[in-house]
Amino acid sequence: MIKNYDAIVIGAGNGGLVASARLAKEGKKTLLIERHNLPGGFATSFVRGRFEFEASLHELCGVGPITGKSPLQKIFEEVGAADKIEWVSLDEAFRLITLNENDKCDYSMPLGKEAFINKLEEYDPGSSAVVRKIFDLIESIEKTLDFVDNIDDFKPSMIKEIFSEHTEFLKVANYSVDEVLKAFGASKTTRDILNGYWCYLGQPTDELNVIHYFTMLHAYIIDGAVIPRGRSHQISTALLEAFTENGGEAWFNTSVTKIIVKDGVATGVVLDNGTQINAKAVICNASPYNAFTKLMDEKDIPEKFKKEVNARTLSSKGFAVFLGLNRSADELGLNNHTYFIYPNNDNRQCYELSKKLETNDVQATVCLNRAFDDCSPEGTSILYMTSIFAGDEWSKVSVADYHKTKTAFAEKMIDNFEKATGIAIRDYIEEIEIAAPMTYARYTDAPAGTIYGYESSKEDGIVKRIVFDLIEKGMPGLYFAGGYTVRHMGYSPSYTTGNLAAKAAILAMEKEAK
Amino acid sequence: MSKKKFSVNGNFKDSINTVKLLTERKKFIGSAPAVLPTRTDDFGVNKVAKSLHPKEQKLVISRIEEHADIAKSYYFKSESAPLAYFKAGQYLTFRLEIGNSVVTRSYSIASSPASALNGEYQITVKRISDGFVSDYILDNWNVGDSVTAYAPEGNMTYNPLRDAGTIVAIAGGSGITPFLSLARAIDQGDEACSLTLLYGCRNSDEILFKSELDSLAEKNGKINVVYVLSHSDEEGYEKGFVGADVIRKYAPEGKYSIFVCGPGGLYKFLETELPKLGLEKKYIRFEVFSSGKKAEDPKKFSIKVINRGEETEIKANSNETVLCAFERAGIEVPARCHTGECGFCRSKLVSGKVYIPEGEDKRRIADMQFNFIHPCCCFPESDLVVRIN
Repeated sequence: MIKNYDAIVIGAGNGGLVASARLAKEGKKTLLIERHNLPGGFATSFVRGRFEFEASLHELCGVGPITGKSPLQKIFEEVGAADKIEWVSLDEAFRLITLNENDKCDYSMPLGKEAFINKLEEYDPGSSAVVRKIFDLIESIEKTLDFVDNIDDFKPSMIKEIFSEHTEFLKVANYSVDEVLKAFGASKTTRDILNGYWCYLGQPTDELNVIHYFTMLHAYIIDGAVIPRGRSHQISTALLEAFTENGGEAWFNTSVTKIIVKDGVATGVVLDNGTQINAKAVICNASPYNAFTKLMDEKDIPEKFKKEVNARTLSSKGFAVFLGLNRSADELGLNNHTYFIYPNNDNRQCYELSKKLETNDVQATVCLNRAFDDCSPEGTSILYMTSIFAGDEWSKVSVADYHKTKTAFAEKMIDNFEKATGIAIRDYIEEIEIAAPMTYARYTDAPAGTIYGYESSKEDGIVKRIVFDLIEKGMPGLYFAGGYTVRHMGYSPSYTTGNLAAKAAILAMEKEAK
Repeated sequence: MSKKKFSVNGNFKDSINTVKLLTERKKFIGSAPAVLPTRTDDFGVNKVAKSLHPKEQKLVISRIEEHADIAKSYYFKSESAPLAYFKAGQYLTFRLEIGNSVVTRSYSIASSPASALNGEYQITVKRISDGFVSDYILDNWNVGDSVTAYAPEGNMTYNPLRDAGTIVAIAGGSGITPFLSLARAIDQGDEACSLTLLYGCRNSDEILFKSELDSLAEKNGKINVVYVLSHSDEEGYEKGFVGADVIRKYAPEGKYSIFVCGPGGLYKFLETELPKLGLEKKYIRFEVFSSGKKAEDPKKFSIKVINRGEETEIKANSNETVLCAFERAGIEVPARCHTGECGFCRSKLVSGKVYIPEGEDKRRIADMQFNFIHPCCCFPESDLVVRIN
């Protein structure tokens, strides 16, 4: 059987959902294919007993409740999903605790630029002058990225504008976070606190691109963060609903087995039941990694694509412990929403230690009741602990050792949490679920259980990705969206690249029509 | 920006550094080999994931064991890939084509997890009244037959971070199987808990696996077995039902977790018995297998089913679940648990009204908001339009 569509979207992850919703909204006949029975990819939830657990979201940035700067909300509004999602605003940035007695710290930071600077001044008296300068740079960088964001169709003349209007951006574009913060003369305490979010990108700040990190600081601290009341599953389902309301078709429990390429142009896909779908655009929310090793014939893959995949490194592998506790957050003393618990404040060392099960003590833990207390029944609470593994240690774990290995690591995370916060939780666990890299591999087909796409290394930082995405041509008809693409991983970047992929596909269709 | 212009290493070096990003990136990509990288399926993590959760498993019946006239145990070998590993207490869902129907049914695994690694599963099927699929299996499955099962699923498994160190297991009838698996796993050193098994039957003739359970209890100090007979007074057995008194008599000092598996009547009885023990909710776990039926005179409805863009009109009865209607019509749905819990059959209720029995609505918040249903625990109350895929 052969069917024809304007666009086919492979995968209903965050990037695929936004791309689909955008295409349908613009009147393109679109088919969304998802191999799982749910939309969202990582952005989902699950029920155990009387608890509904968020599967992956800690806080969402890009829907800025403080400044009203909400690029995501704009996308959600445009595609018809915004009124289906209920946001809860957060006040708190994070509480950062280190385990090492020789580098002990415990900082509780608020969201909001002024509140953040003032709190930092309390922990590090005299810091605010430098921190204000840093925030000036953060805001200047944001202006440049807004300019780049609004480029729908790149023209060489725009380079001139970048060189004349965006000098601050250009100065720091190829530096790491550490290089820039040290140039500002920021103290160790200031750097430790500002670098607190490093685990959300999985890259040590000695090579993490400063533009990348500062954009994230802008989105979280200046613009503010939210949580969807119905978990990220509410966003995913809202996008799917908007898509189908606008005439889009979504097939679940269906796999794409092949991307069809003719004369260097992607022209459609083949499904697991043999159906061939022809389309003017193929939007791939599967990673390029999976596309090249599973969906495309080797002869169809340009040499450049192969080199790109080999040059880059798969980033952190995910691990999570989901706890439904039979006491309220108040009773237990869970007073914070986000806990970052690190071995110490040397994030390069934390990253290296995270390569081994025995030495990995990195965790980011969320108590959802601090966003909205009725997220769980009265007298209960939800704690969601996550860790990241650099390297591929989990590939050494056998089937027979799987359950014991993941239970032992979960136990260590619970012990570390209790040790760092002094809060006893072990006796109050009513429900527990543990997700290892195998779990992410199972549900999203992530290579090695990777949750952060490609590493945001010095050679593969966000600026280099954006610049080369502007000046290099990919394969006509094939557009990638999601965590392995130009904006790196994360909810907000994946929604953004989904939107960009759809826009590029629509633009190409319009050019073709002329 | 502040008045004084900021630089990292001076304006000139900063500019050079920025320009360098072009050459750095070109060199980075250019020096990499133009070959295919490791295939996703070849990473150790992905191999284990696939081995634990295969899309489906083709099994061959290698042996059938008769338990008097009450039940049969079926032993399976794999046709190709190794059998998926599991945790004691999990179930296998089988896919069967019976007449024009395509059905799925779940059976707890009786064998130990270690035996799966050695290439064998065991399930036990008991003849029950109105057991459409169980009867079909008992009457039709033979040694050498190929059957299709999905990966093991289920949450009534021991977790040392959540449960007490002793599991007080309450089994009714063929509900013994997950606990036989647990007892075997404990004996093989794969589970660290102790087990006190309270096994309720009508009379001693109906006890399944008695000699094995007795010998496990005999040789392993972590395993205790107590038989409780409801319909006969025999020496060496407890008389009555497994209620609060029996539990109190045999439960250990201090904390224990109760796991329950058995027929509907057992749950009804325990609903009033277990509260007498004053246990926290976290210490009580049920494995519920539902019949998908409700007692009432059926009203007839029709369901328009949308599947991958194709529409089919099927018949439905108000006393059977929406999933039942799909199964009867031969419409394949990725169903597993049949109790609303696993969510595999999640579908969109485009229009119409369904009834969900109290306590069986285990949907996500957003699924309720957007009218997604779990057809396995919904009964039609009007004509429906349902989108499966």
